[in-house]
Amino acid sequence: MTVQFRRHFLATFVAGFAGLCALGAKAAVSPLELVGPISDYKIYVAENVRKLAADTRAFTAAVKAGDIEKAKKLYAPTRTSYERIEPVAELFNDLDKAIDSRADDHEKAEKDPAFGGFHRIEYGLWVQKNTKELNPVADKLLADVLELQKRLGALTFPPEKVVGGAAVLMEEVAATKISGEENRYSHTDLWDFQSNFEGAFKIVELLRPLVVKENKAFSDKTDANFKVVFDTLAKYRTADGGFETYSKLTERDRKLLAGRVNTLAEDLSKLRGMLGLN
Amino acid sequence: MEKSKINEAVPPEGRPESPHRRRMLGAAGVAFAGLAASARAGAAPSGPPNSPDSGAQVTDAPQSTHTQDRVPFRGRHQAGIVTPRPTAGMIASFYVLAENRADLERLFRTLTERIAFLTQGGPQTDPDPKLPPAGSGILGPVVQPEGLTVTVSVGTSMFDERFGLEKKKPLRLNQMQRHPNDALDAALCHGDLSIQFCANTPDTNIHALRDIIKNTPDLLVLHWKQEGTVPPIPAVPGKPAESARNFLGFRDGSANPDSADDKLMDRIVWVQPGGDEPAWAVGGSYQAVRIIRNFVERWDRTPLQEQEAIMGRLKPTGAPMDGGKTEHDVPDYTKDPEGKATPMDAHIRLANPRTKASDKNLMLRRPFNYSNGVTKSGQLEMGLLFICYQANLENGFIAVQKRLDGEPLEEYIKPIGGGFFFTLPGVRDEHDWLGRSLMAA
Repeated sequence: MTVQFRRHFLATFVAGFAGLCALGAKAAVSPLELVGPISDYKIYVAENVRKLAADTRAFTAAVKAGDIEKAKKLYAPTRTSYERIEPVAELFNDLDKAIDSRADDHEKAEKDPAFGGFHRIEYGLWVQKNTKELNPVADKLLADVLELQKRLGALTFPPEKVVGGAAVLMEEVAATKISGEENRYSHTDLWDFQSNFEGAFKIVELLRPLVVKENKAFSDKTDANFKVVFDTLAKYRTADGGFETYSKLTERDRKLLAGRVNTLAEDLSKLRGMLGLN
Repeated sequence: MEKSKINEAVPPEGRPESPHRRRMLGAAGVAFAGLAASARAGAAPSGPPNSPDSGAQVTDAPQSTHTQDRVPFRGRHQAGIVTPRPTAGMIASFYVLAENRADLERLFRTLTERIAFLTQGGPQTDPDPKLPPAGSGILGPVVQPEGLTVTVSVGTSMFDERFGLEKKKPLRLNQMQRHPNDALDAALCHGDLSIQFCANTPDTNIHALRDIIKNTPDLLVLHWKQEGTVPPIPAVPGKPAESARNFLGFRDGSANPDSADDKLMDRIVWVQPGGDEPAWAVGGSYQAVRIIRNFVERWDRTPLQEQEAIMGRLKPTGAPMDGGKTEHDVPDYTKDPEGKATPMDAHIRLANPRTKASDKNLMLRRPFNYSNGVTKSGQLEMGLLFICYQANLENGFIAVQKRLDGEPLEEYIKPIGGGFFFTLPGVRDEHDWLGRSLMAA
């Protein structure tokens, strides 16, 4: 889908809840009841993207100053606000590719001139151990993040994307993150896990009053699975509020997380339908 | 650009091209005609026409009279062991995520329920299109059984501290150990639970695997899987069935014990009452799985007589080297004590020396050929998904493999994965479930 088309597509959805009301006629949850949770989610996204912009400014400044140690320290925490709002950030395909693509998304991997964004800088900091080539990458990353902030501010959130976003985050973790391949140079994957789970849990929290009305057992089970996930990750917290490296994750905990992620993905895949959304 | 030109030159589906439309093609039409003319200028293609005479279309599904093959699910033993081996097989190994006995029982009951459905087939309905469908749908809305068997076995790790089953472990169940020629990859070894899928088509196995994964997200995580096939042969009435060939081109399983002989199977395959194994294990069996890579390029460059000497059989017929016409003829090693006909280190002679003592080493082999793509060196990554069943793992696979260690065939093979598992006793009736005897023990 091209960006223009995608935008147009969104705009059609954004047109309002009128169409939705018709579609959701059968569901017990009225589409109007979604207005509150979705505007709360919009605030959540705005807060996160604001923090992302500020953190990216500091991070890219450190990169450009050649301060590798400082940049390395800022890398994982800077990404957290992006990872929390990934389901909506990803609506802008061009920006997501520019900000968060991985080397294997590119034909020539690390050597590909189109490989930029966070992971290109991660590669420079941890593997190349110098920032010589990173100046334009840093400038582009900051510009892309600011553009994302602008676009998100103008976006009316499609309800099905927000509700479906909880499942999307779990699918991402299940398919390409649980293996530790996301942050393959820095091994800061547990930071991303935590943020992805927080982002998904936020959506679940906002929708909980509606979900409980539909299916309390579902809601309780989902909450319990999130609790296990957060408790498991908490074991890997470091004293400074960060996380151990991915390699510290025991085989058993990795499997445990994988199972909970699969279960959450399976259960949350029903959320849209449960709330009568297409 | 090119694509749009072609699209324009092709009339819309099912509608004859009108002269008016043809005129309208203009330049594109001219270019197309030019192309056709230049093709005509070359040599005209010769040979018979390729079009099918039945009017069948390229994308029509292949037809089969076996989609309704049904193997009974319930019985003293699980299906898929003495069941004649169909074309497609798969072993999937899982980690069990259950953390307590209640969850483990839920896993076994869920597996029982899904396998009962999948092996017997039936409709799967999706009343609410807003929800994800109940199944993958790859076999259509009515699941065809296609001779599917699903066989569940447990690994030694299931008897660790998690479920309080430490004292219930079958006596001979241990983690598979490395043999001298092995290059075991941890990502392809062992597991809490193995599930063997066998069916007429690989799609049926994949459908069943996906169904089980979808229904057990909080209980199982896939560890590794390996698929394989067996090449079918023409059915010739009045002639005994032939053994299938492996990727070395030799018949495999020729000397297998008669799987239709219940008494023999009781002795060789099934754990019997009154022995030293725990009572819950009666009716079960030890499953040994080995993923054995074959260096097929090198094998294909080996002289035929050397291949035959390594295997101990004639390649075209499968007959033993001391005479006989088919793979069913039995070699007489007593008349060949120095290995002049069948070398002493030939694969079949080491595997089964056919002595009184080696009688207790018999097992039931049920292998499939696997093909996985290309190695980093540009060679074919293919070989044998070896699966065998026996009532006593030490006397069966382990003893036989020890005899084979160091055999000349090792130059051409490399075991890279697999594991040992214990196949649970069968599900006797609709109140029974897989693992019930273990959980009740």
